[in-house]
Amino acid sequence: MFSSPFLAETGAIAQFAGRFFREGFRPRYEVREFFHQCYVVGYQSLPMVGITGFIMGLVLTLQSQPTMAKFGAEAWVPTMVGLTIIREMGPIITALVFAGKIGSSIGAELGSMRVTEQIDAMEVSGTNPFKYLVVTRVLATTLMLPLLTVLADGIGLYASYVGINTQGTTTLALFINNVLSGLTFAEVLPAFFKTFFFGFAVGLVGCYKGYHATKGTAGVGAAANSAVVVSSLLIFILDLLAVQITGLLGFN
Amino acid sequence: MPNNSTSNQVRLGLFVVVGVGCLLVVLYLLGRQQNLFQSSVPVQADFRNVSGLLKGNNVRLGGITVGTVKDITILNDTTVRVQMNLNQDVQRFVRRNAVASIGTDGLVGNTIINLTAGPGAAPAVQAGDVLPTSEQASLDAMLATLNISNQNLVGITSGLRQVTDKLNNSEALWQLLSNEQLPADVRRSAQNAAAASAQLAAAATDVRQLTAGVRRGQGPLGYLLTDDAFANQIGHAARQLAGTSDTLAVTLNGLQRQLQRGGGPVQTLLTDTTAARQLRQTLRNTAQSTAKLNESMTALQHNFLLRGYFRRQAREEARLAACAAARRARDSARLRE
Amino acid sequence: MSPGTLPQPAAAPAPRNAEVVLTLEHISKSFGDNHVLRDFSLELHRGENVVVLGKSGSGKSVLVKCMIGLLRPDAGRITVLGQDISTLDHEEMDQLRARLGFLFQSNALYDSMTVRENLVFPLRRQWLADRRDQEADLVQQALEDVGLADTANKLPAELSGGQRKRIALARTLILQPEIILYDEPTTGLDPITAREISALIRQVQQKYNTAAFIISHDMDSVRLVADRVALLAEGGCYAQGTYEELARHEDPRVHDFFT
Ligand SMILES: Nc1ncnc2c1ncn2[C@@H]1O[C@H](COP(=O)(O)OP(=O)(O)OP(=O)(O)O)[C@@H](O)[C@H]1O
Ligand SMILES: [Mg+2]
Repeated sequence: MFSSPFLAETGAIAQFAGRFFREGFRPRYEVREFFHQCYVVGYQSLPMVGITGFIMGLVLTLQSQPTMAKFGAEAWVPTMVGLTIIREMGPIITALVFAGKIGSSIGAELGSMRVTEQIDAMEVSGTNPFKYLVVTRVLATTLMLPLLTVLADGIGLYASYVGINTQGTTTLALFINNVLSGLTFAEVLPAFFKTFFFGFAVGLVGCYKGYHATKGTAGVGAAANSAVVVSSLLIFILDLLAVQITGLLGFN
Repeated sequence: MPNNSTSNQVRLGLFVVVGVGCLLVVLYLLGRQQNLFQSSVPVQADFRNVSGLLKGNNVRLGGITVGTVKDITILNDTTVRVQMNLNQDVQRFVRRNAVASIGTDGLVGNTIINLTAGPGAAPAVQAGDVLPTSEQASLDAMLATLNISNQNLVGITSGLRQVTDKLNNSEALWQLLSNEQLPADVRRSAQNAAAASAQLAAAATDVRQLTAGVRRGQGPLGYLLTDDAFANQIGHAARQLAGTSDTLAVTLNGLQRQLQRGGGPVQTLLTDTTAARQLRQTLRNTAQSTAKLNESMTALQHNFLLRGYFRRQAREEARLAACAAARRARDSARLRE
Repeated sequence: MSPGTLPQPAAAPAPRNAEVVLTLEHISKSFGDNHVLRDFSLELHRGENVVVLGKSGSGKSVLVKCMIGLLRPDAGRITVLGQDISTLDHEEMDQLRARLGFLFQSNALYDSMTVRENLVFPLRRQWLADRRDQEADLVQQALEDVGLADTANKLPAELSGGQRKRIALARTLILQPEIILYDEPTTGLDPITAREISALIRQVQQKYNTAAFIISHDMDSVRLVADRVALLAEGGCYAQGTYEELARHEDPRVHDFFT
């Protein structure tokens, strides 16, 4: 019969996702662990995400300013940077950084728990490790990435404001007005909603890779590595899908 | 079991609150911008052509955004109905006879709807009113401006011609002007004015031809915008005119001062002869022409077609001036050595 | 645990006629071409310690993992406390597992948690909120039983191999399960600690009348804890009997373990 490791893997991940939906919304609910994961996944990623967001905003501004000045459209820099950050750069860069930081750590953590039988030990203790480890993490990444993205967008826009003020002056109020003038709900909401899917992808792939790690320490490394690779790829694919879908819904 | 200390929970809580808060603020601001939280007055207008107007585009009154486009529907093959939501608080400023027209926000900006107050008094709009529209394609508007400038030019040219003729032909004037300096001035002005009027006439013809060409669909807008020769011509003419008007002004001032101040034979002679009347008439004409000329100049300079040219011109002059200054500085430095 | 309280070895008689708590019937398990278990059958009675001997790689760990439901046998039936575990769903299995204890050969301590959290984890998992107040006492008691009362706030990584084994044992015992499965409880311990652990296993058995399934290579310990010894070879139950019976067995495969 026709067999392909790629398809097998895709099928397995889909099955894993199915299990998440089957088990994730039935008691018992691991509330404490969920909050702890939110803290780890969300709050502790903030510095990293904040720094990348700041640099993203600054660089975008400083890069686009000369070009825009050439066309005499310097006044459009806040609008353009705001649109770029909120629609695309913010979500995608935050998600990629998040995949690098959280995807790998989840992959490595669950992977090492798997190979040292800690997951089995949980099962034996009468805990459903899938709920305790996987559901909490996937939920945490799904809910925290949008928040991180919003904050990264905010920080990035502030950096853009700072960047504009290194070349000339603008007031914060004018800057905010300029940014808002380029935005509508149809731009903000799809960009916001797609980050839920990014977060879900990062958490799910990280957990899948870790949960099914084999072959000792090398397996842990491989799990962490492929968690990042696969979830980054998935983020781009989802982004493409998001563009198509928002286009179909007529939001573009 | 993670040690889920209270401070961690507080931090997580803060993180979530700030994140959600940011999102809500942005959504609220956007909503306010799109007037989601304000009751609005729906009004309509029918156009033949909405030039790419989209739902959500702004509606402006006196340049201030007062509403948004809610819906655009095709009524029939020549009519597009645009439904607008006007903010409640501006309802009383928008009269029922306000004219809606399609415009653009800057040269490359969004399409917008401009509301302009119609002539005469009218009650404030009510929900569901259909506003009258004026459809002036932007190209047409531009050509109209150009046409007016052109007519002005023609007018000025004939005015100037008259003035110069009068100045030249007025024997009495020349005899009366005993002063050595003044006649020379006047003569020069007259010559200048004559030259300028000739050039102006040529420019006016050019403009007329262009306008006609564009109207017939031969000369695209791009031609107007890029044709340096034409811009040069107009620019040259304008510069000439500016110079002429300056000279004329100086001359006139001189003449007037003389007439008022000077006692002696001139003064007495001028009090009630035809020559004097003629002279005064001429002076008035000249003054009017100069004023009109200046007006026309400003109009030309503000015409966006020529704006680029004038700006380039200014830059060039500045550069030349800077070069000259530098050269002078160098020369003087060399001299000092 | 002081040496003075150690119970005398091999004091308890094998409760042969007691209720059967765990039955293995014709268990087979293979990984690919590797047929680890072939038709293995065994019974475990309440209050009885059964030791399983077998060469390394003979499938002892696989056997106990089948009993606790971590591995699913290819064939055969496992009945634990009257329930066929292959018919249980996840929730029922969790409830059953609350009555079982399992000591991993690799300890499987949660290395992101301190020793105390490791011990509290199964408690919190199994208990309702009204028993929370006993938590601290139970943790303290369990740590004292394995002689490591002062390590409560350390991380597993900060402990020696033997200490980790003892913490894992404490974690297994803290829920006072009815059936305990020990996978090599004394491996890697010094003889004195090994003897203490063996004594502890006995003590637990006598105190709570638990049944225990013990995998061990340590013949000293086997002699101390075993009521019955089974030998796993060629995937089946090759021989079984008391320690003395097997020690006197003529078959060299059996005999070799006791020399
Ligand atoms: N998850 C698994 N996948 C594939 N093979 C396995 C797996 N677990 C165990 N095996 C194989 O089953 C056999 C028995 O392993 P097991 O761990 O039960 O040995 P053991 O009797 O416990 O040995 P030891 O005394 O060294 O612990 C080994 O050959 C091993 O390769
Ligand atoms: Mg083993």
